Amino acid sequence: MAVLEKLNLDAKVAIVTGAGRGLGRAMTLALAEAGADLVVAARTRSQIEETAGMVRARGRRCLTVPTDITDSRSAQAMVDTAIAEYGRIDILVNNAGGYTPGTGNPLEEITDEQWLVGIDTNLSGTFYCCRAAIPHMLRQGGGKIVNVTSGLGLRTVRNNFIYTSAKAGLIHFTRALATTYARDNIQCNLISPGLFPHQDPATTDQSQAGRFVPTGRPGRDEEIGPLCVFLASELTSYMNGQIVALDGGGLAGGQAPTGFAPVVPLATDALKGEA
Amino acid sequence: MVQEMFSLQGRGALVIGAAGPIGRAVAVALAEAGANVAVATTTRSQREEVVANSCANEIWALNRRGFAQAIDAASESDVEALMQRTLSELGRLDVLVNAPDLPFAKPLTEITAAEWQRVIDVNLTGVYLACRAAAQPMLSQRSGRIINVVSVLGERGMINGAAYCAAQAGVLNLTRALALEWARSGIRVNALGAGWTEGAGLLGQEDARQQLERYLPPRRLAQPEEIAGAAVYVASDAADYLTGQVIWIDGGSLSRA
Repeated sequence: MAVLEKLNLDAKVAIVTGAGRGLGRAMTLALAEAGADLVVAARTRSQIEETAGMVRARGRRCLTVPTDITDSRSAQAMVDTAIAEYGRIDILVNNAGGYTPGTGNPLEEITDEQWLVGIDTNLSGTFYCCRAAIPHMLRQGGGKIVNVTSGLGLRTVRNNFIYTSAKAGLIHFTRALATTYARDNIQCNLISPGLFPHQDPATTDQSQAGRFVPTGRPGRDEEIGPLCVFLASELTSYMNGQIVALDGGGLAGGQAPTGFAPVVPLATDALKGEA
Repeated sequence: MVQEMFSLQGRGALVIGAAGPIGRAVAVALAEAGANVAVATTTRSQREEVVANSCANEIWALNRRGFAQAIDAASESDVEALMQRTLSELGRLDVLVNAPDLPFAKPLTEITAAEWQRVIDVNLTGVYLACRAAAQPMLSQRSGRIINVVSVLGERGMINGAAYCAAQAGVLNLTRALALEWARSGIRVNALGAGWTEGAGLLGQEDARQQLERYLPPRRLAQPEEIAGAAVYVASDAADYLTGQVIWIDGGSLSRA
């Protein structure tokens, strides 16, 4: 098979959570363009209906399943509905997640409930979805899981306890999945998006948003699509448990302020061994 | 007593790059912990020789034996001769600290092949040469500690840092590979990963330094002594099971986004 043909997802079935907007919608549309039929899940029906319309406009089938991944019964129902409709699941993109109330609170002001909601949203929900979907992948003889973490799962900032802990947990959960199911031809990898502003571009100053990104601009939602297709495709049949940070170079640095560019010539008597 | 495990009484140590702030602080700390310490420069510059001599003075003031030697860390014959002198004057070599540091930062397109080679030769090849020279005494006594001082720039990139960052990353993985190679020969090989440190050559201008101070999580640079404390631990019996590790002393900067 020619290498580019391995990106073809014809006849594959993909579930994307958090597919109603932003990165989830962008990944959904890229998977559809690569040939997959979709199951789009999120809490808000109107948003996933809109995404589904865009999938169908690309000539693919699309099932909308309003889902709250923090409820394990809802996650199970999402998978059951997908199986009832398509009979298989080849790709699961666990994209749902995000800041929850209390995320930026000082430690002593975080309530038990805020902590648990954040962990449920960013870690447990993905566990529920994987637990429901993996038996089908095993039965089919393989599958692809793409989990979405964050630069904040690898490094952190002040006064971010809930989100950063959950996303770090998600990374290791994915490594455990990868290790467990490697022999079953299920590949589990992570995307770590950098700064992707989802605010209305009309009211967000994009130049300011990108100030701290080495490339000088935030990411655009559609830029995540090809990476998701790559990780969902046969091209990555030996890639497992890995993180791909799509962050404009954000994680490559981090030891000096953005743009810090010293010039330190060799001392004149240091170029040669002898003074 | 657990504290006694940290003692380096009677040990022989060699610190290469002792004219740099970290190398110098490590040499003095090892001497304070009881070791006799030979110190050497990174390059044969007069400035370095002066600092190395004053470092040796501090070691003598602590009633330890030692000497200062000007070398070029990238010179095979210099390093071999330094090792011979260390063995003959200190009687033994238990601890080798590689802290050669040739700071250099330039846009890639402006780096000449000679500059690139020199930065790699001193910062990376120099460490290899010293490890190889230490092999003979350490393998035959079936014990030894090698401590490579690396920069956080071996783990992360920086604009204009291509040559320096590449060399530092090389030292990091040389450390891991050699740790495995000599794990059953009684030699422990570890690295101390230093964050931005007071007096480091790469700091450059004063405004760059102030920029960094505002940027770093503790809002200050590391003092060389703060790196050196870990060297005593890693060099001592307290770290007998530690090998192939990097101990980062960076004020938390590697943890932060």
